[in-house]
Amino acid sequence: MAEQSRNSWISKDDPKLVSARQKDMFEDILEDRRHSSDLRYSLKTRDVTMFKLNKPRAPMQIKEHVMKSDRVNFAIDQTCMDTKLPREEVVAEALSILDEMAHNLRTGAVRGFAFFLIKVMKSLYRRIYVNVDGIQKIRGLIKEYPILLMPSHRSYMDFLLMSYVFYNYDLPLPVIAAAMDFMGMKFFGWLLRNSGAFYIRRSFGDDHLYWAIFTEYVQCQICNGDNPIEFYVEGTRSRTAKSYTPKFGMLSAALEPYFKSHIPDIMVVPVSISYDRILEESLYAYELLGVPKPKESTSGLLKARKILEEDFGNIHIFFGQPISIRKYSEGFVDRSLHNLAPRYIASLTNQEQDLIKKLGHHMVLTQQKHMVVSPWSLMASVLMQSQGGVSLRQLAKEVEWVKRQASNLGAYCDWPASESAESVLRANLKLHQNIVRVSQEDVVELVRVAPPVHAKATDALMITAGQHLMLSLYRNHILHVFVRPAMIAISVNTCNEERLSIDDLFTKYTFLEKLLCKDFVFIPENTKADFDLALLTLTHTCGVVMEDNQVIIAKSTNKHTTFYSHLFEPFLLGYWILCQYLLSNHPNVAGKPLAKTQKNLVKEAQMLTARLLQEGVVKHYEMLSLDMMSNGLHALFAMGGVSKERRDGVVYMYPNTRQLSTITDQLAKFVDVPPLPSVSINLHSKMITVNAKL
Amino acid sequence: MATNKPSRQNSDIVNKMDQQLETKNCAAASKNNSGALDPEPPTIPKRRQELLKWNGWGYKDSKFFVNKDGHVEFTGERYRISGSTMPAMREWMIKTIGVSLDHKAPAQPDICAANIPLPIKNDGFLSELRKTSISHSDDCQDRLFRAHGHTLHEIFLLREGKFERIPDIVVWPVCHDEVVKIVQLACKHNVVIIPFGGGTSVSNALECPMEEKRMIVSLDTSQMNRILWVDEKNMTMRAECGIIGQDLERKLAERGLCTGHEPDSMEFSSLGGWVATRASGMKKNIYGNIEDLLVHVKMVTPRGVMEKNCQVPRMSSGLDIHHFILGSEGTLGVVSEVTLKVRPLPQCKKYGSIVFPDFECGVNCMREVAKQRCAPASIRLMDNEQFQFGHALKVESNSILANFMDGLKKLYITKLKGFDPMKMAVATLLFEGTKEEVAALEKRVYEIAAKFRGIPGGADNGERGYMLTFVIAYIRDIGFDYYVVAESFETSVPWDRCLDLCQNVKERLHRECKDNNIQFPPYVTCRVTQTYDAGACIYFYFAFNYRGISNPVSLYEHIESCAREEILANGGSISHHHGVGKIRKRWLRKTVGDIGLGAMQSVKQYIDPNNIFGNNNLMMGHNLSDGATPAQEPSNVMLPSKL
Repeated sequence: MAEQSRNSWISKDDPKLVSARQKDMFEDILEDRRHSSDLRYSLKTRDVTMFKLNKPRAPMQIKEHVMKSDRVNFAIDQTCMDTKLPREEVVAEALSILDEMAHNLRTGAVRGFAFFLIKVMKSLYRRIYVNVDGIQKIRGLIKEYPILLMPSHRSYMDFLLMSYVFYNYDLPLPVIAAAMDFMGMKFFGWLLRNSGAFYIRRSFGDDHLYWAIFTEYVQCQICNGDNPIEFYVEGTRSRTAKSYTPKFGMLSAALEPYFKSHIPDIMVVPVSISYDRILEESLYAYELLGVPKPKESTSGLLKARKILEEDFGNIHIFFGQPISIRKYSEGFVDRSLHNLAPRYIASLTNQEQDLIKKLGHHMVLTQQKHMVVSPWSLMASVLMQSQGGVSLRQLAKEVEWVKRQASNLGAYCDWPASESAESVLRANLKLHQNIVRVSQEDVVELVRVAPPVHAKATDALMITAGQHLMLSLYRNHILHVFVRPAMIAISVNTCNEERLSIDDLFTKYTFLEKLLCKDFVFIPENTKADFDLALLTLTHTCGVVMEDNQVIIAKSTNKHTTFYSHLFEPFLLGYWILCQYLLSNHPNVAGKPLAKTQKNLVKEAQMLTARLLQEGVVKHYEMLSLDMMSNGLHALFAMGGVSKERRDGVVYMYPNTRQLSTITDQLAKFVDVPPLPSVSINLHSKMITVNAKL
Repeated sequence: MATNKPSRQNSDIVNKMDQQLETKNCAAASKNNSGALDPEPPTIPKRRQELLKWNGWGYKDSKFFVNKDGHVEFTGERYRISGSTMPAMREWMIKTIGVSLDHKAPAQPDICAANIPLPIKNDGFLSELRKTSISHSDDCQDRLFRAHGHTLHEIFLLREGKFERIPDIVVWPVCHDEVVKIVQLACKHNVVIIPFGGGTSVSNALECPMEEKRMIVSLDTSQMNRILWVDEKNMTMRAECGIIGQDLERKLAERGLCTGHEPDSMEFSSLGGWVATRASGMKKNIYGNIEDLLVHVKMVTPRGVMEKNCQVPRMSSGLDIHHFILGSEGTLGVVSEVTLKVRPLPQCKKYGSIVFPDFECGVNCMREVAKQRCAPASIRLMDNEQFQFGHALKVESNSILANFMDGLKKLYITKLKGFDPMKMAVATLLFEGTKEEVAALEKRVYEIAAKFRGIPGGADNGERGYMLTFVIAYIRDIGFDYYVVAESFETSVPWDRCLDLCQNVKERLHRECKDNNIQFPPYVTCRVTQTYDAGACIYFYFAFNYRGISNPVSLYEHIESCAREEILANGGSISHHHGVGKIRKRWLRKTVGDIGLGAMQSVKQYIDPNNIFGNNNLMMGHNLSDGATPAQEPSNVMLPSKL
């Protein structure tokens, strides 16, 4: 090395010789593991910082505490009164709930787990990048405050990765709120439980006893700061690689101790985990199409061993700026409102619920902000718009353009500076060779994806759709960057006037936000600020021209606005088809359309889409996604186009024809809708008539 | 101070005393200038500054200073620690709050007459006042002395600043009738009266409203200091409002009696002041707080004299007018005479202490003691920081045996019992009663303590704990000399929130200090000072070294108000016994609600429509409409830009 240097101070002057171990704020934590003993690593002494108010205790003692707590005893008494069951029985039930729930975090298991994990990680991934300053911040805070970790959730790996990172940096291992799915797995369920997973049921609506035990279990660990608590604000793994809208149950339970002044503060840490390639990509694609996911089982896991031979690229884990809940709520929440009742009775004021909502959304947006955009995401966004295939040269050009736009909008693109665009593209195409390939003529095209074994899908439509959905996952990864400007771009692009006043533009924007608010995450009641910022961005970077508070349409319609509009076209068109399907449900004798379960509505809308695709009326295969349809349905419900009713505990939905027609008409103004042939569609031997005149 | 000898009065003395009191009583009744008949001079002279520090706490002869060996020493001979050095103190000051003995912040030698505002004169009032025989003065030092209490802000003004508004005249009535006369004159000439008792307020209650353009009269009650009568049949006594705590107890003790009301300020605070602020005494577990002791009270208001017509233990007669007077903080009138319950002096008085492995065990033990209603006269729990401070205050001991015993004790607790000296908490106890009662109670309390891993820590530790309470006010003055600002504040809280409140408030103070760039770690400590059936009183000390900070007082006030916000958010109250004054006004509306506040203001409106008692405490001076906007807390202090 020395001879090539002109200066003895510089040891590597060829950028190619510098490894990618360190990159911007990230450092790779796998590299060292490749050169040293995994066994020694898993047995290393860990000098762990603990919360200063912590009183060390074993998992068993946590359970004891929960059973003795005022809250649980209060709930047990209530249950006895409600059910007239003897107290012993209720206590026994409480105990069994607790046993089902509780983790059993043990160093021994953790070390074993670490040994196993490191093997898996090394074989699956090239590098696992972590922003070290984020870790340092957490290290500093762990002593002072209880910590809530809120990672994004796009893969099962999230859970393992977080524990692995914390193990690696000698931080106390997080305990993780996990769904019951894992628990059934024989050995693995046990291992996870012993590595800090605790299991919660997905829905326990009215079960007060369960709620009380769950709350106490979580809260006592926060108050004592036993371990950082990790949970997913999105509630479940995102199958679409977009962020899901936040859920508030766990967040409320976790923050209540602050609102009730049990502890001085809680630090909430957003964590963004970005994958170059998602482990479950094909499972997700078929699940979105309606093929149920296989039940988690250890044997399934073992079968999945062959994926160990595949390459899943890099992972970037970004620990965001911790948020002090005290500072975040200052001026918005009056904690003294809780002074007039004992604190074991669960209650949150309206102020607090609003704040939790806002925080939940804020966390998701922060996760999004710190997502690392891989070149492949940029490529996917171009490829989705050129389904017929695109030459490598053209792709490189387009990707370069998209990359610049994404950067301008604040995205962090993981683009190796020292490599040519072509080699970056080729490397990424190779990584995703199960989806795309480069033909002899240097044209990039999709390859046929074999459906997963359990899917039993033979239908050509389904297979093509699966392929498109897989690709769409990666495009989805960057949609959040563009969504706000895009809603303006769509409004501008579809405007028939010469000028569009800013007020009208805002009205359109608001409509689109309402429509898209389940597929994308917007902070409630922040529409105006979002709009202003997006408009400013567009005028400053994307050639949208404003005069006298009006947009000059002709001058503003350009590559940016067109590209942004196209990005979101499938969503709007998908919703439109959903609307058409709903409107085709004619009123029955009672004067309103037959109410159906949400599942059926979504399924049938999907069938209509399938029909339209087959007939070539529409061409976006991703509209077959049940997720998109169901999001659309919820948005329509929020806008009043669909109503709900509850019968025997089951929720049924039916369209409100008049409102829905208005919404549909409005929607049709934002997207080129195809002329619907007056056809009758036979689904499940049920006749659905789609009338173009509607 | 330790075990009091059983009352040694023989009947002769009692009789003599009776006669004496009789004479005095007559004197008062005949409305003579009683000064001549009083055999002893008042403990507190009219020119208070001749006896008391003009710009600090307590007697002029008693103070901490750093002696020639660089050790902290206490002067004078009034207290048990007077003339002693505390060898551990210097180290503590340097280590705990970052004091440097080389950096001093001396106080100004005086506030010269030129810096004292000229009095506003209401000639009508003055000429009529001169026609009476009521003693008065417009001497600038007399007026200055009555312009303040003992909050950090006020003492800092004395040490390093000046006052914008002070009383324009001081009057010294000697009996109820003179008070009536003064109030009548004030009403006639629209002059403001601010009653002044012991001057120990820590709520800015004595501060003259800056915007007040009328003449302000400081009504100093110190010359109304007689016990009017003692009724041993009913075990009550009546005294004038100006009698200070230690005189009252001393004179009653001569008859084998006591009221048992011992607030920490009892050396200086007055009977009338206790009533007007809802004071609390350290031995309330036996004797009760002031509202429990009060049998009858007379208050002179602009409308006339408000009092009940009988002295009964309890009555059902509509809203209790005593509760209008208790805590009125000088906004409705002057308390002139008070009847309190008295008790025989306890036969036996015994200190004690319990060492707990940590604060939590201590609080749980206190809670249990309260639950079983077996609290001794006083039981207080100091946290670890205060326990260590107490140790730093240990006086130099020349007795080898004492030192040896101390070493043994320490060895036993830390080594055998495994207590961590950095976590230990200590409860101090004071038992009173007959020997048998004390013995029985002691046994019971120590038994309860044992359940919470508490072990008896000896009488010495207990006594030192109580001494600390009296001494701490003097300590603040030496702190000022070395760039330390300090203050105490208190609250009351339900039992279930007690621990969380202590923890969260301390945490908040530490955090605010950090956020406000205070360069040295602050000293934050708390103790549980009173137990009740449903909760406890908690007392905080907060001090920090302000070297490198340009606005220590406003910063202190900002941080204290953050702490109060935290207290309220933790289920604590606006105040347990310090009162509201002006310093805590902004939380009063939240505390009692709009209706509560409106009701208070209506009472004020009826009793004092012209705001003669215009000290502006509570939210009494405000009219109803402008109170509608929520009290604005000064938002976070803007840090000066570094540019």
